[in-house]
Amino acid sequence: MNNLKYISTERYYEGIITEINDCAVAIDFKGRMGEIYIPRRMLISDYKIKVGQEVGFMMTYPEVLASDVNEDYLANIKRSNIKKLRKNNKKSKGGAK
Amino acid sequence: MSISAEEAQKMKNEVAVGCCRTEAGTVISAKNLEDPAIIPDLVDSNLLEIPDNCLKIGEVIGAKLKETVDSLTPFTPEMFEDIKKMEEDEDIKLSNEDQAAVLKINKKAGEKITIDDLEDPMHFDKLEDSLLIDLNDSDNVLSRREAVGKTLSQDLPALTPIKKAVIKEYPDSTTEEGGKSNQNNVQRGGVLKIKIDEGKGIDIELPLNTTVQGGAQTIAESNQSKSLKIKDTADKEKKAEEEIIVRKLKRKYFEINEVKFARESKIEDKTLYIRKDICQDAVDSEDLVVDLKIDIITPDDYDKFSNTIMDVQPIAVKEEGELGEGITRVIDGVIVMVTGTDEEGVQIGEFGSSEGILERNIMWGRPGAPEKGEIFIKTDVKVKAGTGMERPGPMAAHKATDFITQEIREVLKELDESLKVREEEFVQKRRPGKKKVAIIKEIMGQGAMHDNYLLPVEPVGTLGAKANVDLGNVPIVVSPLQVIDGCIHALTCIGPASKETSRHYWREPLVMEAMNDDEIDLTTVILIGSPQVNSEKFYVSKLLGMAVESMDLDGAIVTTEGFGNNHVDFASNIEQVGKRGVPVVGVTYAAVQGQLVVGNEYMDAMVDLNKSRQGIENEILENNCLTKEDAIRAIAMLKSKVAGEEIKAPERSWNPNVKLNNIEVIEDTLGEKIELAPNETSLKMSKKRKEIYEKDEKDN
Repeated sequence: MNNLKYISTERYYEGIITEINDCAVAIDFKGRMGEIYIPRRMLISDYKIKVGQEVGFMMTYPEVLASDVNEDYLANIKRSNIKKLRKNNKKSKGGAK
Repeated sequence: MSISAEEAQKMKNEVAVGCCRTEAGTVISAKNLEDPAIIPDLVDSNLLEIPDNCLKIGEVIGAKLKETVDSLTPFTPEMFEDIKKMEEDEDIKLSNEDQAAVLKINKKAGEKITIDDLEDPMHFDKLEDSLLIDLNDSDNVLSRREAVGKTLSQDLPALTPIKKAVIKEYPDSTTEEGGKSNQNNVQRGGVLKIKIDEGKGIDIELPLNTTVQGGAQTIAESNQSKSLKIKDTADKEKKAEEEIIVRKLKRKYFEINEVKFARESKIEDKTLYIRKDICQDAVDSEDLVVDLKIDIITPDDYDKFSNTIMDVQPIAVKEEGELGEGITRVIDGVIVMVTGTDEEGVQIGEFGSSEGILERNIMWGRPGAPEKGEIFIKTDVKVKAGTGMERPGPMAAHKATDFITQEIREVLKELDESLKVREEEFVQKRRPGKKKVAIIKEIMGQGAMHDNYLLPVEPVGTLGAKANVDLGNVPIVVSPLQVIDGCIHALTCIGPASKETSRHYWREPLVMEAMNDDEIDLTTVILIGSPQVNSEKFYVSKLLGMAVESMDLDGAIVTTEGFGNNHVDFASNIEQVGKRGVPVVGVTYAAVQGQLVVGNEYMDAMVDLNKSRQGIENEILENNCLTKEDAIRAIAMLKSKVAGEEIKAPERSWNPNVKLNNIEVIEDTLGEKIELAPNETSLKMSKKRKEIYEKDEKDN
């Protein structure tokens, strides 16, 4: 937390629940300001949750901590991207090169 | 927001700040004042600055304002016509002046004795009954009036009657006798030694806990001639409080140091062979599973990549009796690890995934994690595309893995007894006369990976078990031995650092510590689910309240895993227990990221499970989960609360030193060292990670 230069910049946002599955809830920020995907247990609700419900929350702007790249995370991202590419290749034409 | 008159009385020593614009001539009452609880927040956000001469609430009430002031103005003397001086606390409070003065807290030499340091005489009877103080020799003990304001000439532990000999102001009476007898009676290292004259030199030693536990004494040694009479009564007392053995569970360990594939599954000479074609059968057993691979991970492979770890499980089977009693066989040195993705490569459970290099993502040795040196039978399950996020997907992955484990269980069941390397016995006892305590474990029940299979036929199996979500998350009463015999097969997969795996329950440290603590009577473990919607949360939590009401408990510990909306029911569960007059301690990961979202008046005794250096979810499996040190703290805190001791209010933001202080207090009281669980700083860290994410460590 002490790594942040702009701490406590939280402000009020609203969004719409666009997808619900057994693990997660997707929320579109109003005004096309982005989208978040959170585990179900991170959503507090007095009502049974449904697609189309509006949510409100406080959020700060994420702040990049340093210019360097974490190689471990990068490797994970590459790995999953490669998987996706292979998958798409397979779909488009039995593995055309 | 203004405050009420009662609040004002309670908080008369807090700073006085006007809550709204107040006109000149107003006589200040409680409704003109800002709630002191939010003042630190206002100061933090630079909305308010408290001057040094700011008045106290007790001083401004009833005073007349000279000038009109804006809202959020700290009151200072020049704004008022007349300021009444607050009466000194001491003048109003010293009651029972002629009663004996007994220290309530530890004091050091040179410190002044104040009223607050003295034990309330109303407790004397209880304390004497528990042999914690001896006022028979009250001639030498000072009265409360005499003691207040005096300075100590030597260090004195809590619950010591104050005699002239230890007071600086009475130099003449510091006779050798006085000083010595004190030293004799009170031993350092947390043991109070009391001499009973009639018993002819029988010394009774009992732990001088932070807790005052009635009846926790053991007769340690008697000097020479034992008085029969006293011995008799002691025996009788002992009988009345004899422990009752409810049931026993034996674990037999069979060591395996190699795992290989072969034609058929078998165990030979400490080697486990797994049938080569078992994977296909496992795939066929579940419709949603499209592929399954088994990786045998030996310590040499710890640096390999793994998909997200969904669970860590022991391989165990019942030899005799039902789950929770009888005999269980377990493989020593090998665990099952469930990992998986869907066909499109999306990690099952998606969130809080701990995919990456194994040795960097596992906090070795935690109750729920593998031990360094163990071999993992790691399944990599692939479920149909898109099903990884729906309940059936993760369930299929677990069941397909369990298909393999079940085959190993069958082999283990038939294994020759001679290959057993060691045994461990767990005994569930009831301890009549001791404080009745229940452990309430909140388990996840929001759906899919936030679920648990309960009460399978085999330890940590799936067969015969029902999912917590299907059971409606309602409270379920189980025995402590059922918990450690694997009655919970965990599907929980959110936040790897704070989720509790199946192995965690199998080695649940809080249940183990509470079972072995002979100062409490652990009656039961209650599992309660955490549903998604608030109304459902309150529904199950009310049921918990009723269940607890019927148990006549003296204390309860409520734990929850991870963080998020489960903290809503965590608070509600504590409230339901607390409002029935049962002292309750809450245990959760909170620190920086998991800060509680709600609270109530019963949540005054909380134990934070955080171990990470920065107080965050750092993707390291089991890092912030309940360990033995937390169990010790939780039980000590509960004992203190049951004994009616005051628990200090928390600091405004997370401070890891609070935990260390508590540990120190417990160590001092018990007279033994508590091993602190290591955290992620003991793991291998990539150079980059060290440089970027944890660089503040260098700055400190």
